[in-house]
Order: sequence, then structure tokens, then C-alpha cells
Amino acid sequence: MASASASDSASASCGGEPCVVIADGAASSAEVAEFERDRRELLRRGFGLGGAAIAAASIPLLWSVRSAFAEAGGTGDAPIMAKAINLERVTIIAYDSVLAGGLLTPALSGVLRRFRAQEQEHADALITSLTSLGGIPPAPPKGVADVDKVVEGLRDVRTRADVLSFLIELETAGVAAYFDAHAKFGEAKLLQLGASIMANEGQHLAVLRRASGQEPVPNAFETGQT
Amino acid sequence: MDLDHFLRDPQSRRRFFRTSGVSVAGASAVFLAACSDDTKNPVKAGDDESDQADVEILNGALDLEFMAVAAYKAGAARLTGDRLAIVKLFLEQEQEHADGLAAAIKDADGQPNRAKSDYDFPVLGTEADVLRFAVDIENTAIAAYIDALPKLSKKDLRSTAASILTNQAEHVSVLLDALGREPVPAAFVTGRP
Repeated sequence: MASASASDSASASCGGEPCVVIADGAASSAEVAEFERDRRELLRRGFGLGGAAIAAASIPLLWSVRSAFAEAGGTGDAPIMAKAINLERVTIIAYDSVLAGGLLTPALSGVLRRFRAQEQEHADALITSLTSLGGIPPAPPKGVADVDKVVEGLRDVRTRADVLSFLIELETAGVAAYFDAHAKFGEAKLLQLGASIMANEGQHLAVLRRASGQEPVPNAFETGQT
Repeated sequence: MDLDHFLRDPQSRRRFFRTSGVSVAGASAVFLAACSDDTKNPVKAGDDESDQADVEILNGALDLEFMAVAAYKAGAARLTGDRLAIVKLFLEQEQEHADGLAAAIKDADGQPNRAKSDYDFPVLGTEADVLRFAVDIENTAIAAYIDALPKLSKKDLRSTAASILTNQAEHVSVLLDALGREPVPAAFVTGRP
């Protein structure tokens, strides 16, 4: 978690000029509540979220990761970046866990190893950017319990279909978080870095959806709100 | 024009985008802001100047979306089966982007550009040509949106632009897969080689 001094440093890092910081987030409480209603409605209708137990459990937690990004604004870019770093690291833990779980075909294992490496590249780039702003990277997550804070259900994965459902849910949370962050970042380079990462997470989603028999690109606007 | 020549020759690309109504810098498409080219920080929101700048950028994006729709329409005639289904879906989604951009332009009291009646596309002789050209158009759009993000004054427009370019990155992934290439080749999707 970034400290208050980290965000102060971020605010002072724009070449002596005040950074443009958006004070209020895109994901207002009303919007987040609407998002949650939409997800509950999807679940009620039994659509495309894989194992119902996983998806049902994840709803309030996915709400919380979006909410955390929304609440991070108003004090500079550093707190948003700290949240993003944590999300990337948690995703890496999830990929490591499913790669060690023995449920994958060799081909799928190769795909997920690549995605895992790309999440690591995201985390490294975000840490470099945060550090350059004078921020302090958050403490690394410790394990599956930290994954549960973003999307629950990793421990309950029993089949290859469960793996794909869980990863789709996790990558969707990532896209949603970066979508919200675009209304929060003050620095141009961070907007562009965030976009390049969000687009890569979208590509992961497309491949994972296809592997699970879903339409790979279901929405013209990829917001993480399936 | 031969597709390979088009893809390799910056001058051909520049000429093509200009005649398609798309602004270019180097060989890349860009969305130019009328009142600000500030790339350090997002422009300040809420005044008429930033509205006008947003309209200019959004109209540049609209030109590129119109071109993508036309390219998919042209390409669809050469495709069959699964590849045709993919291209039809992506065509619809590019049209949704265009409709959304036009609405945003009107919301900002601007006048949306109109699609050109025809485009001088390179020769798309094979199914693979259609897919390769689509990858190039999508990547061009992704690069232009990423370039534009800090120039947009309104936070909702930045998030929407990010959602569009992420959709286009997904298109690229599916198209690459259909070409038998690695669908997610890089951790950072910038639309640039």
C-alpha cells in the first residue's frame, strides 16, 4: 500500500507544476451498485460465469476491488498504482496456483505460462513507474488468501472448466479496475501504460473465453462488466 | 496497391490514411486536438475549449472507425465460414464504436464527421490478406487511441476510449489466431510494431 508520503511525492512530481488529478472517480457508488445488480442478474439467469459457487462468492469481492480503485483517487496517482501492482501480483499467484494444479493440458499450460509472464511484466512496469513517482511499492501478497480478497474460489477449482471460469473472472476484474483507473490517473504516461495493460488483459480474456467455449469478444466496449 | 507493399511502405500508409480522412504523424494515425497537443497531462475539463478539443479528437477517431467498418465490409466479401462470422461480428462492433463516438460528439455540441463514400484499400486477394489488413487497421486504431488518451479532457471519454481500444486489442488477438499466429504476442498492447 502506498503511504501518504508516496502520494505527496506523486503530486510533486510533475516538473514543478501541479499534476492534474481528477478528484472524483468514474465508479461512483451508484455506478458500482448498478454493476453489482447487473452481475447478480446475470447470475440469476445462469449466464457464462462458470462455476456458480465461484462467481457468486466473487461478487462482493469484485465490487471491493473496483471500489478500492475508485476510492484511490483524489490524492495522486501513487495509490491507484499500488492497487494495480497488488492486483497484478495477486493474478500472478493465481496463475502459479493453477499451473501447479495438474488440471491443464500441455497446450493450455503453455498459454497460461505466457499470460503469467505477461502479468509479471505488468507488475514490473507498474513498480518502476510508481518508484519513479517517489512512491513505495506495496508489500507483496502472500498467497491464495490474498487472491481471495479479489476473486474467491481458487481453492475450489476442481476441473479445467473451473480453472478457465476462475481466470476469466479474475481477468475481468483486472479489466474493470483499469477501466475505472482511466478516470483517475493524472499523468499521461500512466494513462497510456494503463491502456496498454488493459488491452493485454482483454486479449487474455478473449483467449480464455474461447478456450472455455464462449464468444471471445462479446462486447464492443470492453469495460469488465460482463 | 499490393498489401505487402502497403504494410511495408510508410509513404503508402501515410498517403492511404490521408486520403481516408485520417490524420497522420509519421506513418501512424493520430487524433489531433484542436486546442491542445499537451501530452504530459490530460487537459483540464469543463470549458468550451476542451469540449472543442475533444470533438476534434473524437472526430478523428470516428474517421478511423468508419474506415475500419469499410475495410471489414470489403474484406467480408472474400471470406467464408468461421472467418466470415468473425469479421461480421467485428464489423458490427466497429459500427458500435462509430455510433458511440458520434453520440459523444453531439453531446459535446459538435458535428460528427461523415463516412467517406469509398476508400482506396490495398488489394485483398486472399483470405489471409483480409485478416492481415484487418490486423493493421486495428493496430493503427489502437495506437491512435493510446496517443489520444491524455488529450481527452473528460474522464468518461478516457475510460470509453480505453474500452474501445481494449475491444480492438481483442479483435487483433482473434485475427492473429485465425492467421495461425501467436494471439497475445506482447504484454503491452500499443498497436505499434
